[in-house]
Amino acid sequence: MISGVQALLACHWSARRMQRYLDADPSAPLRPAEVRRLEAHLARCERCAQLAREHRLLRQSLLRWSDRHWPDDGSLTRMHGVLDQLVRDGLA
Amino acid sequence: MEPEIGLLLRVAFTLTGSWADAEDAVQETLVRAWNAVDSFDGAHSRAWLLTILRRTNANLHRRRRPDVVAEPGECSGARPAFGTARPLNPEDQIVETILEDTLERAVARLDPRFRTVLLLVDVDQLSYAEAADTLGVPVGTVMSRLSRARDRVRRQLRGCGSDNRSGGRQ
Repeated sequence: MISGVQALLACHWSARRMQRYLDADPSAPLRPAEVRRLEAHLARCERCAQLAREHRLLRQSLLRWSDRHWPDDGSLTRMHGVLDQLVRDGLA
Repeated sequence: MEPEIGLLLRVAFTLTGSWADAEDAVQETLVRAWNAVDSFDGAHSRAWLLTILRRTNANLHRRRRPDVVAEPGECSGARPAFGTARPLNPEDQIVETILEDTLERAVARLDPRFRTVLLLVDVDQLSYAEAADTLGVPVGTVMSRLSRARDRVRRQLRGCGSDNRSGGRQ
């Protein structure tokens, strides 16, 4: 009973930090001790390890969209033209 | 400003859902940034530009779309903002075929607040702080919305896609 509750709490603790762990964003870093504890939990909890795999798969899938989420050369050229014009007008 | 033009266009496209509107927003952003450059301290130029883009887009949005949809439920048929497709390698094509329809539907069903954060961070590759600047919300709000968006999409992928994936859930 107690070990079941402990496991549940460990999963909850890990789930709360999973996004920060996977993103490693500089705005919200985990402490090294938290990283070690989370990685140790992922190594022995298949349910949380599966959750991490699903998050990684989702990120990889969305990352592929970024290749298609890119302005065409015409848009880039026009915007560079706007900036060039601003600079020329500013120097005139 | 010049190195950030591509990023500004991508982010503007995520915010507006249209390349034409994105160009309008970025053009106006460049003009405003140029006019304000003397008061810019030179630090965090990307964050500064993203903040100007957010304000510019809000102004353009008010002028352009007085009938903006406010209820997420009314957006259920909307699709995420995509650009022109590039050729994929064979391995990518397999995974893409399995997931794409389910993923697009799942993302399209998200509340726009959640969908925008997901696209800014996972597609446009902004940091939490940059996404926060773009949306004018705290970093904690970005993290919370991102977590909810990913959970909702992940649950839908789990339901629809796991049967198709080799090495799926046990």
